[in-house]
Amino acid sequence: MRSRFFLLLFVMAGLVVAFAPLPVRPIAPQERNFRIEARQYAYSPAELEVNSGDTVTVQLVSTDVVHGLYIDGYDISVEADPGQTAALRFTADRSGSFRMRCNVTCGAMHPFMIGKLTVGTNGWLYRSIGLATLAVIGFLPLSSFITQKKKEH
Amino acid sequence: MSRIELTRFPIVKSAVKNRWPQLAVFIVMLAGYLFAILAGLIGTPVGSHNFSIVFVWIAWWAILILVAVPFFGRGWCAVCPIPLPGEWLQRGAVLNPPDKNPKWLNLRWPKALRNIWLQNISFLLLALFSSVLLTTPNVTGIVLAAMLFGAIGLSTVFERRAFCRYLCPVGGFIGLYSQAAPIELRIKDKQVCVTCDGKPCYNGSTNGYGCPWDVFPGGLTKNTYCGLCMECIRTCPHDNIAINLRPFSADLAKPSARMDEAFKAFVMLGSAMIYAGVLLGPWSALKDAAYKVGTGAWFIYAAAFLGIIFIIMPSLFAFCISRFENLKSFKKRFATLSTSLIPLGLMFWVAFSLSFVLTNATYILASLSDPLGLGWNLFGTAEAAWQPLLTSILAPGQTLALVGGLVWSVRTARKAASEARVSSIPVIAYCFTATLVMLWLLL
Amino acid sequence: MKRPELLSRILIVAATLGAIGAPLFFWTRTPLIHAQMAEDGGWSPDVIQAEVGKPLHLRLTSDDVLHGFAVGQMQMDAVDIEPGKVTDIELTFDKPGIYTFFCTRWCGVNHWRMRGTIEVSGSDPEPVLSKADGAPLYVSLGLDIDATHDAPVIPETQPSAISGQQLAANLPISQYANPHFYRANSPYQLYENLNSTDLSDSEKWDVVSYIWESNTTPEALANGSQLYAQNCAACHGENGAGDGVFADDLAEAGESSMHNMTGAAEMAMQTPVDFTDSKRMLGASPALLQGKILRGGMGTGMPMWGSIFTEEQIWDLIAYLYSFQFIYQGATQ
Repeated sequence: MRSRFFLLLFVMAGLVVAFAPLPVRPIAPQERNFRIEARQYAYSPAELEVNSGDTVTVQLVSTDVVHGLYIDGYDISVEADPGQTAALRFTADRSGSFRMRCNVTCGAMHPFMIGKLTVGTNGWLYRSIGLATLAVIGFLPLSSFITQKKKEH
Repeated sequence: MSRIELTRFPIVKSAVKNRWPQLAVFIVMLAGYLFAILAGLIGTPVGSHNFSIVFVWIAWWAILILVAVPFFGRGWCAVCPIPLPGEWLQRGAVLNPPDKNPKWLNLRWPKALRNIWLQNISFLLLALFSSVLLTTPNVTGIVLAAMLFGAIGLSTVFERRAFCRYLCPVGGFIGLYSQAAPIELRIKDKQVCVTCDGKPCYNGSTNGYGCPWDVFPGGLTKNTYCGLCMECIRTCPHDNIAINLRPFSADLAKPSARMDEAFKAFVMLGSAMIYAGVLLGPWSALKDAAYKVGTGAWFIYAAAFLGIIFIIMPSLFAFCISRFENLKSFKKRFATLSTSLIPLGLMFWVAFSLSFVLTNATYILASLSDPLGLGWNLFGTAEAAWQPLLTSILAPGQTLALVGGLVWSVRTARKAASEARVSSIPVIAYCFTATLVMLWLLL
Repeated sequence: MKRPELLSRILIVAATLGAIGAPLFFWTRTPLIHAQMAEDGGWSPDVIQAEVGKPLHLRLTSDDVLHGFAVGQMQMDAVDIEPGKVTDIELTFDKPGIYTFFCTRWCGVNHWRMRGTIEVSGSDPEPVLSKADGAPLYVSLGLDIDATHDAPVIPETQPSAISGQQLAANLPISQYANPHFYRANSPYQLYENLNSTDLSDSEKWDVVSYIWESNTTPEALANGSQLYAQNCAACHGENGAGDGVFADDLAEAGESSMHNMTGAAEMAMQTPVDFTDSKRMLGASPALLQGKILRGGMGTGMPMWGSIFTEEQIWDLIAYLYSFQFIYQGATQ
């Protein structure tokens, strides 16, 4: 019975870690401007951090060939020719970590031209670390409990 | 442990025993493979619109790592076209059973090389050049052709499927991971084999050929080296060989103590992490170094790659498990405990591949209609735009894969450690740390 | 040989021949024009034959990055040439001659070198005697467009065309507000001509800017702005300051890239001209600027646009260039 109790406890804990809303520090939304230079095959800067709710404008400056910038999760994009800076404007209403990708074929390593946008906290990273920790803790005493119980019978 | 014999069902049995169903799949695969070589060599140099890149590194890779390996073990080997021309030449036939005259040289594979070290090296060779290989059609075409002609050449010199068993870079890791799969080929009754005369499953008979994988089916206890080619099922005169459904990771309960396999686990675990960082991360210096083959930066990258895999990761593991008083046969303990890394490595590759595949799967639609970039539109999908799919489930999916892999590895570690009568905690700590690094790299 | 064995061998051979033969067959029958970055060869082939009046059907693909295609001196919209995909274009030529086709999407610092020719043969249905604009204006004026042309006096603040308009109401400016004067003179020369009035220096510059604007139209300025953005901004900067994304590359390139392209030695790259530099711009007449644009920079990295832009396009572009110096009423920046 105790082993079943512990199993239930860990499953509940796992569900909480996976789905409970994360505490959010209320920060007033701001206007953010970023100038990103794109070249074969990198963005510079490649990592952006904003707070949840910010209005973000990304100026994409291509420095060699035509590049694009697509944001996972938001499913928005912009493309820029060298000499013609293009702006992408959006409200960061989804939080988490999102890859930015080039969406104009710009040469061989185009599929790996990647940047990273973090809005607020990277929730899934913390959840997954929590779940991994829970799994390791859970399976150690839990398994030995079960084997102990089996031996006792 | 419960096993369900699949070959008990008549439809399965006849599909396996009859050579035609498999041959039909072989012909399609061979045609696709040759077409991929041609596409790589004469099609558009733009990888994302070339059949060879899209159908090898996106479509085939996705099916391999997400479906075939986790659920069918060496299932891909069962239909792979690479050994076929060589084997047909070797046998002098496609469907006919053997006649008495040996053709070609049929040499035994050299004893010193009868391990998977060459496969560790061949996988790493591809991995070091992966940035170029995955993006450049003519490089993929040349590598595919090299493997095909290499296999044919080896078949004319050595017996059986020498390329598959000892050289194929893919076969190396499929074999390792097939230990975790829920499908197996085993004999039904051991007594039957004991009294069997001539062991035709290995030596061949008028019914069929001996195992092309140089495995004795009568003694098969693990999936690692059985290529699921079904030859032994056709050859066995006592109908004593079956394909079973079984629980996942059944073979990991009997961990192997071989160093070549142990290092294979590190090769796969390490390269998944390096790929995640270099290819899917935002660090341009790493990508530049990985792509510009032959420059100083690339040599540093290659040295770091090999250093992580052959020195850093195994040393850390050895350090973790060295603090036991009972140091009898450290090498054996190192090898058996490293089997805990097998489920972890598999799920690392699943998590990495999920991102790459979901992002680029839509290229498959365009490539189906215009495989060579010549302006065709065979199925009307040539204008299909690039569109990452299901990016919202990517993070949860990768979490599930990685945490699931960790749990799986923890369970494997506990079993392996209890058999070796040591604590499993150091190995679990190692797996946990590796999982944290991979989570940080991917999420 | 038994029937199944024979059948299986036939199937294998058929599948093999099909898988190898079909792509080869169709590949040899699909002549494509390949677009590559200039460093990797540019257009191949880069010379195309055509006949007057006969539709020329072209199939183009890009082997690396996004390119574009247009033919100079012809009314056509540029067409994108996407990597790995094939674009079909049909062109019909009314007059024989040699036409230049060029890339219209920036594909590296040598993008402008990506040009080829279409040799159109046949008889001219409407032969025209040599036109009046045979020689460009700078030639007939005897201008040395490589000489320095700094204005000795420059305004302290940016001249405003609105103020200039008010000031000019009472001045006899019709002699200046016409193409003959405008094209042959620099803003500084007009400023000098206004010395006969009793305006202050800054007022004179305001009038100059107004007269300069009245020699063009809002449509022309808009056209010039677009031409500038698409063709010039990458080197000269989006705000005209000579700080475009390729400015550093041009300064560094030096001899090597020119050497590959033309085999010439001793060509020095310079940074792109700064159109916000008042000394240079106000001392330059439209004719001089036209000369630079038509002829190119003789090894400085400045392309020659003579075969690409029409005269009207070049005057529109030049009108726009002056808007980096003057505050125009119909400001397009």
